[in-house]
Amino acid sequence: LNLNRVEMPKQSEHERRHNFDEVALGYTWELAKEEASRCIQCKKRNCQQGCPVNIDIPDFIAALQREEIEEASRILKRKTSLPGVCGRVCPQELQCEQACTLNKKGAPIAIGRLERFIADWERTQGAPTMPEMAPSTGKKVAVVGSGPSGLTVASDLAILGHQVVLFEALHVAGGVLMYGIPEFRLPKEIVQREVQYVQALGVDLRLNTVIGINYSLDELLNTDYDAVYLAPGAGLPKFMRVPGENLNMVYSANEFLTRTNLMKAYLYPEYATPIKMGKRVAVIGGGNVAMDAARCAVRLGAQEVYVIYRRTRAEMPARLEEIENAEEEGIQFHFLCNPTGFLSDGRNNVAAMELIRMQLTEPDESGRRRPVPIPGSEYIMDVDTVVVSLGTSPNPLIPSTTPDLEVTRWGTVVIDERGRTSKARVWAGGDIVSGGATVISAMGEGRIAAAAMHEYLTNGQKKIIPPTPAKDED
Amino acid sequence: MYPIVDHEVLAPRVHRLRVQAPVVAEKAKPGQFVILIIDEKGERVPFTISDWDRDAGTVDFVFIEVGKTTQQLATLQPGDRLLSFIGPLGRAAEVDRYGHVVTVLSGYGIAATVPIIRALKEHGNTVTTIVQAPDKERLFGVHPLEELSDDLILALGTKGDGMMESTTVAIRKLLDAHPKKPVDRVIAMCSLCLMRVLSEMTRPLGIKTMVHLTPVMVDGTGMCGACRLSVGGTNRFACVHGPEFDGHEVDGWEVLMARRCTYADESILQQGFQCRGCSQW
Ligand SMILES: Cc1cc2nc3c(=O)[nH]c(=O)nc-3n(C[C@H](O)[C@H](O)[C@H](O)COP(=O)(O)OP(=O)(O)OC[C@H]3O[C@@H](n4cnc5c(N)ncnc54)[C@H](O)[C@@H]3O)c2cc1C
Ligand SMILES: Cc1cc2nc3c(=O)[nH]c(=O)nc-3n(C[C@H](O)[C@H](O)[C@H](O)COP(=O)(O)OP(=O)(O)OC[C@H]3O[C@@H](n4cnc5c(N)ncnc54)[C@H](O)[C@@H]3O)c2cc1C
Ligand code: SF4
Ligand code: SF4
Ligand code: FES
Repeated sequence: LNLNRVEMPKQSEHERRHNFDEVALGYTWELAKEEASRCIQCKKRNCQQGCPVNIDIPDFIAALQREEIEEASRILKRKTSLPGVCGRVCPQELQCEQACTLNKKGAPIAIGRLERFIADWERTQGAPTMPEMAPSTGKKVAVVGSGPSGLTVASDLAILGHQVVLFEALHVAGGVLMYGIPEFRLPKEIVQREVQYVQALGVDLRLNTVIGINYSLDELLNTDYDAVYLAPGAGLPKFMRVPGENLNMVYSANEFLTRTNLMKAYLYPEYATPIKMGKRVAVIGGGNVAMDAARCAVRLGAQEVYVIYRRTRAEMPARLEEIENAEEEGIQFHFLCNPTGFLSDGRNNVAAMELIRMQLTEPDESGRRRPVPIPGSEYIMDVDTVVVSLGTSPNPLIPSTTPDLEVTRWGTVVIDERGRTSKARVWAGGDIVSGGATVISAMGEGRIAAAAMHEYLTNGQKKIIPPTPAKDED
Repeated sequence: MYPIVDHEVLAPRVHRLRVQAPVVAEKAKPGQFVILIIDEKGERVPFTISDWDRDAGTVDFVFIEVGKTTQQLATLQPGDRLLSFIGPLGRAAEVDRYGHVVTVLSGYGIAATVPIIRALKEHGNTVTTIVQAPDKERLFGVHPLEELSDDLILALGTKGDGMMESTTVAIRKLLDAHPKKPVDRVIAMCSLCLMRVLSEMTRPLGIKTMVHLTPVMVDGTGMCGACRLSVGGTNRFACVHGPEFDGHEVDGWEVLMARRCTYADESILQQGFQCRGCSQW
């Protein structure tokens, strides 16, 4: 029994501070084989239960052990259409890998890295393997939003024989995978390949089309479509509502990341979108979004990047791997402090922020230690750029233009356990329902809803066996 | 892709483009805007819809060359295609029967306000239009305004040519006659500074003054927060809650101006843009 996992090569700290290339370089076949050989093929499939989409982990690893990469890929594709994405950005340490039997004794199998290896291998093999397509049902479905949730539902329903139109407000499909998560963590080429795959299944992708503006949900339902899946995500940026927050050079993480990733401001002026950034950048928040913003700032040339977080490192919601990457890249963490206001340079550009020190209370009933300000502990910190990364709320556009769609007081769309909303013929999933979670959960919810939609569209026929991918003949 | 079907030069550095975009034309309303991208490497840039034809599926907008994207747009010809053309974005301008409405226009607002004035007339309003331009050569789009407005006042930056004095003097005269000859509403689509000054002039008289604000935008659908501004003490996004706002409620003019100028340093070609009131200059 080998309890040490095979390390994955990555770009050196020094080098990667100056480029947007992927940080983690991925396993070679030799390394992948070595890591796969550690798996003991448990009878009780703990790992599989830890995966939100129930990937047949022991089986794909067994295929790798037999050196059948193509077979491994086929097994993966049975449950996920985005292995190259999930292998990179899933919080594996809380899901499949946490559940792995080896985790009790030593390092769990690097399931995510193996998944990534398989997806990357497949990409070098020419056209992706296409699944067997069911004959046309004559039913038409609209999917709103082309993030992971919408892509999953679009491909599932297309494979099951429905005609699918996928509407996307932006000029590029992929949702947060394109506009939020940076290139150095998830190369955009990989996302676009998944999008092309979904299109190759016959899904009609309509970019630049905003549901709620170009067509209301009711218009979709009253015209061509038999059913609708809503996956517009949670894209509304939160602000702190403290004085000076609108000063120039105070960004929301969404703006900062959209300019950088979607619009490729790091390649300005080759790409026309600029991003203005100073020398001392403060990123407010402790999640993945904050880590992404801080690490972008480093690469865009900031001299100092501070992460400002009101609790301690232990409570940070960001993935540990990303916190470590950020630390290696020279990002300075300021814990137990919170901004109370931003100060102007006299010309309405931010020049400093006022912070107050925080302390953690004793754990309450929920076991959480709340941060509370320490009175009189205010101090000033000089900064010339601020990125507010406190998370996002559900996009209000569709609920606000659809009065009979039930939402919670947080603006999330209410669904039953199979993704059905309060409105007839409408299902929903992903961040619009959860308020902000993970790529894999957005996909998983899509899976469940797609099965329910299929049942509805075919008058009760259950989708029993997931379609098995077959090799593309040409 | 969105083909360009017509390109007209209206004045030096001022152009009108007509784009084939049936989905946008179908829902367009006065005062709304589009966001376009020229090509894969292009920026997302907002423009106000100045006209549309639902049957032909076309949308018009008028733009002034001020920087990279607008200069590139100026070179496009019928047959060329835009990568992206999203809209109609923002809320439509409020239009109702108010009585006597004064509209104050400059720059692209001279063309982009035409649909609003047309709607105002359809609602039975009397409309006085004040147009500001740097000089006669750079004046454009007068004809439709003449046709639609009950009264048209031309205010040129330079004296002579039989034109009237500055915009603020023209407005002052109208306001001095109020309430004997009442002004029931003011609608402005002109420079930020002028809109701010106007709002201050009408505030003591309690004349509702709608301003069309244009902070820097990225997505135009409420996702990035770049366009946020303070209105009546709360944060609003110009792309979804605006771009038309009650000028008396806008309380962050200086911040708005600074934010508008974030990317102005190297790029402004437009003369007269560098207003004195703006904190950046
Ligand atoms: C910076 C950042 C980093 C993250 N890092 C991770 C990570 O490491 N691991 C992880 O698992 N998760 C991560 N997440 C979370 C994860 O990305 C999301 O949970 C996931 O993308 C949600 O998927 P979705 O399909 O529900 O919505 P989204 O990905 O948000 O996609 C929604 C799409 O719908 C479009 N849309 C919105 N409104 C409309 C409309 N009215 N009409 C048409 N289209 C519309 C949007 O433009 C968008 O393209 C991160 C999120 C962010 C912002
Ligand atoms: C709602 C709205 C409606 C508009 N309608 C029109 C119109 O009908 N006709 C017209 O000529 N212009 C209009 N504008 C302004 C137009 O978007 C800018 O002139 C254009 O973005 C300049 O791009 P550029 O690359 O040529 O110049 P740049 O070199 O990018 O910038 C020149 C200046 O234009 C302004 N600007 C730049 N980018 C933006 C942006 N994304 N959003 C807003 N302002 C920006 C800034 O003040 C900048 O300093 C509108 C702006 C908004 C927000
Ligand atoms: S999808 Fe995510 S949770 Fe599931 S096996 Fe892959 S990495 Fe693990
Ligand atoms: S729990 Fe771990 S060791 Fe066991 S089968 Fe799954 S991956 Fe292999
Ligand atoms: S332009 Fe992004 S929120 Fe308005």
